[in-house]
Amino acid sequence: MFYLYTLLALAVIAAAVHLSPLKAKAWTALAIVAAAGIPLAVKAAGVLSGGGTCRLWAFDSLMLGPDSGSLDTLSALFVLVIAVGAAAATLYSQGYLRHALAHKSPAHISLHYTALAVMSLSMLGVVASDGGYSFLFFWELMTVASFILILFDAERREVRRAALSYLIMMHVGFVLLVAGFVRLHAATGSASFAALAPYFAQQPFLPLFLVFLGGFGMKAGLFPMHVWLPEAHPAAPSHVSALMSGVMIKTGVYGILRVCAAAGDPAALHTAGLIVLCLGIATGLWGVILAASQNDVKRLLAYSSIENIGVILIGAGIALLGKAAGNHTMALCGMTGALLHLVNHSFFKSLLFFGAGNILTQTRTVSLDALGGLARHMPVTAILFLAGAAAICALPPFNGFVSELLIYLGMFKGIAAGSDTLAAAAGTVALALIGGIVVLAFAKLYGTVFLGSPRTHEVAEASEADNVRIAAMALPLAGMLSVGLFPAAAVAVVSRAARFFLTAPTGVADYMLSSALSAVGRTAWLLIVVVGVLAWLRRRTLRTRTVSQGPTWGCGFTAPNVRMQYTGESFSEGLQSIVPSLTRQDGEGDAVGKHEIFPSPHRFDIRRKDRIDNLFTAWWVEALRLLNQRVMRLRTGKINHYVLFALAFLALVFLLSIFNLIG
Amino acid sequence: MMTTLNTILLLLVALAIPGVINRTRALLAGRRGIRFLQHIYDLHLHLRKGAVYSTTTTALFRTTPSVYLGAAIVAAMMIPVGDLRPLLSFEGDFVCMAYVLALGRFALILAAMDTGSAFEGMGASREALYGALVEPSLMLAAGTLALLTGHTSFARIFDPDVLPGARFAVVLLLTAYVLMKIVFTESGRVPVDDPRTHLELTMIHEVMCLDYCGVDLAMIQLGGWLKTALFSLLAADTLAAAFCLRWWVAAPLAVALTGLAVGIVESTQARNKLVRNTTFLLTVAALAALAFFTGYLLQLNIGMA
Repeated sequence: MFYLYTLLALAVIAAAVHLSPLKAKAWTALAIVAAAGIPLAVKAAGVLSGGGTCRLWAFDSLMLGPDSGSLDTLSALFVLVIAVGAAAATLYSQGYLRHALAHKSPAHISLHYTALAVMSLSMLGVVASDGGYSFLFFWELMTVASFILILFDAERREVRRAALSYLIMMHVGFVLLVAGFVRLHAATGSASFAALAPYFAQQPFLPLFLVFLGGFGMKAGLFPMHVWLPEAHPAAPSHVSALMSGVMIKTGVYGILRVCAAAGDPAALHTAGLIVLCLGIATGLWGVILAASQNDVKRLLAYSSIENIGVILIGAGIALLGKAAGNHTMALCGMTGALLHLVNHSFFKSLLFFGAGNILTQTRTVSLDALGGLARHMPVTAILFLAGAAAICALPPFNGFVSELLIYLGMFKGIAAGSDTLAAAAGTVALALIGGIVVLAFAKLYGTVFLGSPRTHEVAEASEADNVRIAAMALPLAGMLSVGLFPAAAVAVVSRAARFFLTAPTGVADYMLSSALSAVGRTAWLLIVVVGVLAWLRRRTLRTRTVSQGPTWGCGFTAPNVRMQYTGESFSEGLQSIVPSLTRQDGEGDAVGKHEIFPSPHRFDIRRKDRIDNLFTAWWVEALRLLNQRVMRLRTGKINHYVLFALAFLALVFLLSIFNLIG
Repeated sequence: MMTTLNTILLLLVALAIPGVINRTRALLAGRRGIRFLQHIYDLHLHLRKGAVYSTTTTALFRTTPSVYLGAAIVAAMMIPVGDLRPLLSFEGDFVCMAYVLALGRFALILAAMDTGSAFEGMGASREALYGALVEPSLMLAAGTLALLTGHTSFARIFDPDVLPGARFAVVLLLTAYVLMKIVFTESGRVPVDDPRTHLELTMIHEVMCLDYCGVDLAMIQLGGWLKTALFSLLAADTLAAAFCLRWWVAAPLAVALTGLAVGIVESTQARNKLVRNTTFLLTVAALAALAFFTGYLLQLNIGMA
């Protein structure tokens, strides 16, 4: 009955969106998201402020056993993230799709908005479900809805390709999840997450853990299962990228955290911690190095999402190791840091993808080498994007810093206490390197897109985006600033969500955290005050001086032009020279040859592709093709051969039954 | 009282180091050299000048000097001089210091990109890369100190009562050496970068500030001195922790270490080819890892005995 009601609700949503006038479809979708999101968010806020768990649904089906949905502190946190992210994305789509209304059919627009609403609701369902088959139902609904959302520009070939590869990879993950839940159901009689703990108490930990890790990791974009992300995000409309990157991939992390939390035995926890930490390091480093090599705004942002998932998993891995070693401070810092980073990433990545959407609609390109100087033409977008870039680089006084500090603190607490010193040190080095390269990647992105001079005429004529979109971008910015400037309050809420994972009381650790975080908050304010005072002093001093303007100093060269600016490709050239083996260079056209004394005009386009982006398509497709080729040798097309095969088969059956090999 | 002394000493160290570097270089070259306080007179001169801004630049370019200097000031507030208390101290303050400094670097890189000059973009790209590669060494050095003392804030690490003592002298020496290498990198000195080079193509830090003049340039220079001072003080504190962690040891040691080391290296050595800088920085990271590992083994050994 539950599923019937849900499907009925979907039909109602589709009808509502379909029947509303063309320009109001976005508002209808927003109303639907709000109608489901606000009550749930209120309940979630109640749970997070200490109201215990809150039951949402429970039923018993004949075939699949009992099923229920409820909000505990972890789901409550996710509900808040999803509700805010979905509302911002839907609001943004109102402005973003305004141009598309003219040249897409109304049915197409309706389908898109229905999918947008359904996806938001299904994500809420995923985190509210207690596991089992309703979880899988919402999970699949989420996948299908996001598939439809990616397909918005289905007339472009690369969009269809990306959407299809997304759908296939998600279903590989789905099969793993079904296998995991069925095994759980068979062993314990219940497929809910609550049954995991008793399962792990009796059965070996690793096999089921790895199955779930594969299934959830596919959604989260774990290395090496991340290859769908950089294809799907540039293909999807920007608000969909924001929703998928900011919110949807976090449901994969949600699943991983649920499974990890169920492990109770220290040895199992230790193994899980090491696996998650190593995967986090690999994902983070791979993501950030590839991000720094990209020359397309949305692709760069997609790789940076992979990197952030890596950072979140490093935090989770540290928490697992801390729990295994009985170091509660380490566990609390790691888990709180991971969860807070997840919240933070949903804020700044939504903001950045919205910014990318503004760039795309106003200039019709997202290629770094065509953009430049946008800060003059789109000042509000430029300022908002700068805040997002600073936050994603984990620079104070923004929010990214708070969560990375917590993860660092967890690792340093581990080092200082001598528990898992080497693993914690590896995490520290990785996180530091990731932090450094992120600065490079986003300095490159911001510098080439917004600063300098415009590289093409179209870009020089760009204008600012409309107010609805700016408002949608201000929503995540508010979240970013509140976490960054009042870290103690934000962490107090998030650490309550981290409680699901910790068994022992954490009074001492809580005290340590709150005092450290109030100090971080004070430092952030101090930084703002110091910079403000300095800026004021500078202005005052310059008021009495002669201030003039002139061209940029060309180092003696008298005819510089905009094409001579440092490009995105050249900006990351140094990094490329260190890590050439991670990327494959795809070039079109020829560079200017050495023998050309008077070079003719050249067109030259380099793309840095992921070295393993064909991991899930190429090698086994190739293997399958080879196998097929061998089998094809038997198909000679001559009737006498086929008779021979039949005879050989009969002989084989006869022989096998003589030796009692088959019954 | 102690905190005020800490702040004053920090400022003095920051102002003294460039003078000592100049004097060392002059002595080694057999010259009399410029006045010891010449760099401060130069700063004063810059402060009295007007400004010329490139027409390509935006408000970001004008805000950057304040951000750069502000970040250096806030970061310097977390550094203890010997056994004195810094203004800011909390759990994980070294992470905060690294990221506050990264904010300054990010702002300066963007300001360089803002001018639209190929040369400044070149400097920005190099600064971003070397900044990224030096980060792991810094965190590993901090990790080594946390491992030896069991604490996670500078003030607690450099506390005479929790001194790791002479047993770990080797590790402390190695960590101080790593921190000195970080001083060279962060302050843009030979062998990573040469502040006196005349060719923009080969510069890193200096080329990023090409379009700054007057007050703005003064602010960036002052920020740079503070950065050099704070890393030198960390190195000096670490070294002093091996024998006598007092402020009257640490402050002169910081000036002497950086002043002499930079002066001697700049007089005797040519700067690296740019492609070799990454090798240099990876070697520093390897040394930091070695220090950490040695500390870990020593601690295991002592724990068992």
